[in-house]
Amino acid sequence: MLSILGKTSRYCDGVSRRGFLQAGTFAMGGSALTLADLNRIEAADGKGKTQKSVINIFLAGGPPHQDMWEIKTEAPSEIRGDFKPIATNVPGIQICEVFPKLAAMMDKAAVIRSVVGCRGGHDAIQCTSGWTGQELRSIGGRPSIGSAAAKLLGSGHPSVPASVGLAKITKHVPWSDCGSPGFLGAPYASFKPDGPGMKNMVLGGVTLERLGDRRELLGKLDTLRRDIDISGSMAGMDAFGRNALDVLTSSRLVDALDLSKEDPQVVERYGDGKPYQFQYDGAPTCNEQLLVARRLVEAGCRVVTLSFGRWDSHSKNFDMVRDHGGKLDQALSALIEDLDQRGMLDDVTVAVWGEFGRTPKINAAAGRDHWNKVSCAYLAGGGMRTGQAIGATNRYGEEAAERPVHMQEIVATMYHNLGIDTHSTTINDPTGRPQFLVDHDPIAELI
Amino acid sequence: MRPQKSLKTTTRIRRSVPLLGHEPRFSATVSLMLVVATAAVVGVAGQLFASEPSQASQLFFDGAAETRSLVDNESVKTFGDLKGRDARLQLLVSGLADDGIVRDFTRQVDLTVSPTGLVRIDSSGNVVPLANGTAIVTATLRTTDAASESDAQSYAPAQATLHVSGVGSEPAISFPSQIVPIFTKLGCNGGGCHGKAAGQNGFKLSLLGFEPQDDYQRLLRETRGRRVFLAAPERSLLLTKTVNMAPHGGGSRTEVGSYEYRLLHRWIAQGMPYGDGAEPQIQSIAVTPDVRRMNTNTQQQLAVKAIYSDGSVQDVTQAAVFESNDPAMGDVDARGLVSLAASVGDVAVMARYQGHVAVFRAEIPQLPLPTEIQWPSERNVVDQHVYAKLRSMNIPPSPRCSDATYLRRVTIDIAGRLPTAAEQAEFLSQPEDLRRDRLVDQLLGGEDHADYFAAKWNVILRNKRPGVDLEFGTVAFHRWIRESLIDNKPYDQLVGEILTASGSIASNPPVAWLRQVPDTNQRLEDAAQLFLGQRIQCARCHHHPYEKWSQADYGHLAAFFSTVSKRDSGNRELPRFTWRVGGASAKHPKTGQSLPPAGLGADVAPSTAEQDPREQLVHWMTDPSNPFFARSLVNRYWKHFMARGLVEPEDDMRVTNPPSNPELLDAVAEEFVASGFDLQALVRLICTSNTYAASSDAVSGNVGDRKCYSRYYPKRLTAEVMLDAIDTVTGTKTSFAGVPGGTRAVALPDTAFDSYFLTVFGRPEANTACECERAGDANLAQSLHLLNSEAIQEKLAGKTGRAAGFASLSDVDQDAESNVRQLYQIAFSRSPTADELSVSTRYITGKTNHQEAYEDLTWALINSKEFMFNH
Repeated sequence: MLSILGKTSRYCDGVSRRGFLQAGTFAMGGSALTLADLNRIEAADGKGKTQKSVINIFLAGGPPHQDMWEIKTEAPSEIRGDFKPIATNVPGIQICEVFPKLAAMMDKAAVIRSVVGCRGGHDAIQCTSGWTGQELRSIGGRPSIGSAAAKLLGSGHPSVPASVGLAKITKHVPWSDCGSPGFLGAPYASFKPDGPGMKNMVLGGVTLERLGDRRELLGKLDTLRRDIDISGSMAGMDAFGRNALDVLTSSRLVDALDLSKEDPQVVERYGDGKPYQFQYDGAPTCNEQLLVARRLVEAGCRVVTLSFGRWDSHSKNFDMVRDHGGKLDQALSALIEDLDQRGMLDDVTVAVWGEFGRTPKINAAAGRDHWNKVSCAYLAGGGMRTGQAIGATNRYGEEAAERPVHMQEIVATMYHNLGIDTHSTTINDPTGRPQFLVDHDPIAELI
Repeated sequence: MRPQKSLKTTTRIRRSVPLLGHEPRFSATVSLMLVVATAAVVGVAGQLFASEPSQASQLFFDGAAETRSLVDNESVKTFGDLKGRDARLQLLVSGLADDGIVRDFTRQVDLTVSPTGLVRIDSSGNVVPLANGTAIVTATLRTTDAASESDAQSYAPAQATLHVSGVGSEPAISFPSQIVPIFTKLGCNGGGCHGKAAGQNGFKLSLLGFEPQDDYQRLLRETRGRRVFLAAPERSLLLTKTVNMAPHGGGSRTEVGSYEYRLLHRWIAQGMPYGDGAEPQIQSIAVTPDVRRMNTNTQQQLAVKAIYSDGSVQDVTQAAVFESNDPAMGDVDARGLVSLAASVGDVAVMARYQGHVAVFRAEIPQLPLPTEIQWPSERNVVDQHVYAKLRSMNIPPSPRCSDATYLRRVTIDIAGRLPTAAEQAEFLSQPEDLRRDRLVDQLLGGEDHADYFAAKWNVILRNKRPGVDLEFGTVAFHRWIRESLIDNKPYDQLVGEILTASGSIASNPPVAWLRQVPDTNQRLEDAAQLFLGQRIQCARCHHHPYEKWSQADYGHLAAFFSTVSKRDSGNRELPRFTWRVGGASAKHPKTGQSLPPAGLGADVAPSTAEQDPREQLVHWMTDPSNPFFARSLVNRYWKHFMARGLVEPEDDMRVTNPPSNPELLDAVAEEFVASGFDLQALVRLICTSNTYAASSDAVSGNVGDRKCYSRYYPKRLTAEVMLDAIDTVTGTKTSFAGVPGGTRAVALPDTAFDSYFLTVFGRPEANTACECERAGDANLAQSLHLLNSEAIQEKLAGKTGRAAGFASLSDVDQDAESNVRQLYQIAFSRSPTADELSVSTRYITGKTNHQEAYEDLTWALINSKEFMFNH
């Protein structure tokens, strides 16, 4: 099928990729070349190393921090809850009994038991950007990790987008927010498999053969010299134009989203998360999305964001944790094992967390309510020093007693693992003011 | 000037000499004086071409003021007094070569001192005092290999005398003037570290050290005094963190025993004095040299001097922070050594010390071309100054573009659309020597020009619907802007009417600006950025890091808007704005002190309680002598037409971001003022110049030019212009909800209309006064949309579209060629080449489905760079 389009290693104008690189560099001149350009060029050259990426798994509604990675055995029963801790393969670290598979691979992950800085909003924005919606609101807000990575790094492969948000729109909409481009604007928005941008990624209206004809014709007629441009945008448009044609013909992205192309045994290992329970206005426990996320980062995405389950357990907290926790245990352990087996675990950071924690005291409906004084997070891969439990809450799980870790520290760690130095990297906002990505540093214990 | 030495040999000397690091080194309170032995020596860049060495090439020490020595009445070079044993001095040794370029030899000379023991000079020319006395320094070009020996001898050595005094005393160290600069130099108080609003890991410093009092308190009082430890200074956190002995997130900023370390140590040991406040205050800084012509791939050492309130001058090179505005062209290291890359052009290096800034500008000309450059005639001041610049840079201009190219170019730039067939015919019917000027006049008189520029102003004036639906106020303000442009309202009047607007939007539409820019802070910030090219918003929270503007300047400006008040009009969407009678004032953002209205760098405006202070603001702004108003508009318009502002970004004009061609900016601004702020006259001036009419194709020798306008730099069509152009080529119309059918994207009253095309191609949201909100970056989503979206395919295949028309109304074999010609005329305003014609025609006739074939051809044309760019 592909052969009708000619050799993909050559561009329409007969210039090889290497030739383009030289021409492009020349045309763009010195300072016009940004880091993102370099990455794109490197990607176009097919010489990029295994690339750094992030899978950000949002536990919408706020998981009960005391029923996840730190069981408060010393608290009285109205606080303690149903669960017992179990030992992990790292001596001294115990986590909740609903996560036996994760316990067996604790050495590959780190849990943070003292996440602070949660503003209490029922939304994903702090987990996708480190900021609330208030900061810089008048100019569009702060960009999410995915959008900042799209701006600073670009995609790892020309025919897949830099940032993808997998969550389907939930009834409570802020729970399926995959992160806003903020002041960077729509060109840096994450791709959503059901959004308008996605539709353009699948060939529609014309046949592949006709696209081939059009491409050939364009190659013959598009003869303006690229080197006359000083802004670099001509070379950029040319490169992206070719990438777009690759997207349409290579189906790399569509394939990544298609699990029928995956080994059935692997699919089975992740599970399907069914039957969906406790979903209400949140996301289903789509275990497959973790596998799709792996396929996407493998294909070249920098940041994949998804929303897993609905953890807003105002009632039946323990039933919910048993259900969601068991499914998360299966899918997350499969993801980490899978990344490890493929040699990708050092490059891919997996973060699993929600917008806040839950009340220490169990309510009359066996639920726990909102608690933004402390929360928790689970981090794996990314070349971090894993096999650690960082911080602790006090006896009743009310607040951070040791090593409070600000939510932005987790976001800063993700940036760090992507190769972005949060100390020196700034992006100019629309008023021309250079903005740092986050105000906090990466977690020193992990990097 | 007689030939002295060749470029080639001097560069060879430079390359062949390894850096030395073994000269003796000194430290003390000094008064340094350089007495230059030869009278023929020149020291200031501005004099370089006026005076010439009397004999063989002469080395000289530059940057010194000439005085008469008291001792022997000889000509003496004085570097100013250096007080305190911590003084340092940067020597600069230069030589004038036969290519008219002054070359920096500071690192290629041997500096010998007699008698020894008074000063120590390191390999980069940095002097530290050791003992009181007078020493003679001799600079001799180093001859380390035989090949360069003969060349080196052609430079006569230079001599200077250094007076060293005050060594041995131990004056109290001043926290604000000696310690705080260390925090800036080492990057401690930068915006990424302790200088940010929240501090870093519990330790906060004021941004770039603008609040030394606060810094002092935090160092001494916070964290139970662990930061400084008098009993054992080396155990102070301030020192252990700085050298990363105690784990430090920022790593090691300096080493034990460095100059900074010793000064900090001594300050703690002295008992952390703050200073008695009687120290002379810094008035300004100066960088030497301030401007210099340099060859590519060469280096230049800078020296920075601070001038104090008591008239004393101190070398602060090592304490200053340097930053290049184009590091790819010329980078600068922490010691002020500028290293150029291979690019030709200008680069500015900013030196910053204690809130003061100075700029060094390097002009990097191209090597002369082997062939004579053909200079087009100079039609106006634009050509005069652009060609003067190109001459000095040895860059040839591209020849004039063709009439077809000019027609498309100027129509897009002035009217925001492709030229029509009728316009093409009319244009070509005019006499050759008059057609271009007439076209410009015609376009300026047309309503499309008003539409296009109204859209430009509308966005930066932040005019958009307050809610979901389009409403009256937005439309009224847009229409008002548009009509002002049709009337060619003088720019000073236009700005005045916006800034002083009172009443309701219904009766006075520019009042909408007050609604859209809702508070005093934003109003003054927008006004400064829009009409003065000054980004004063930095000074709301801290002293502007790259400008002289302080928080007080901010407050003075805020005071102009302090009496604006919003009145309920019974209609929430259409509030009334008036001004309160009474004294205008604003609080200093930090001290709370009440400040009267005053323009930037201007005296307090005389005002009475009966006068709207905003009128004073407009009066100050629009005064012909205002240094910002006309220049900022000229730069904004220049960028619109020439792709690159004389200052970039176009609304960030500051001392530290100088224009690439200052004479040009001044001259055009002068014409603009003289014309009575006539916007159309300005457009005419630019568009009828030969500079604007140059081809975008590069000729040998100007392909690398990015700043001198040797050719027309192509620009991608903006989102709105591109959508309209695609509509024109495909013969379709995009419809927008809520406006009459057929309204073009460029004529929409705001930017909130739902359109994926416009969004993805970077249409701004009108949230700020910055033109940079319009994203010009290419990205994958854009390409996908243009290549494969349903929306574009519908336009290509529309039943009433152009492709369908061609297919149904014409005989393919007979008319294919003329249809292709027509398509090329519409899209590119030119005829196809023979090659293009045959490829296209063959494509059409070779397909069985001719409509699809025309769609494919149209698709290829709108996806080509020639279409997407104005070139």
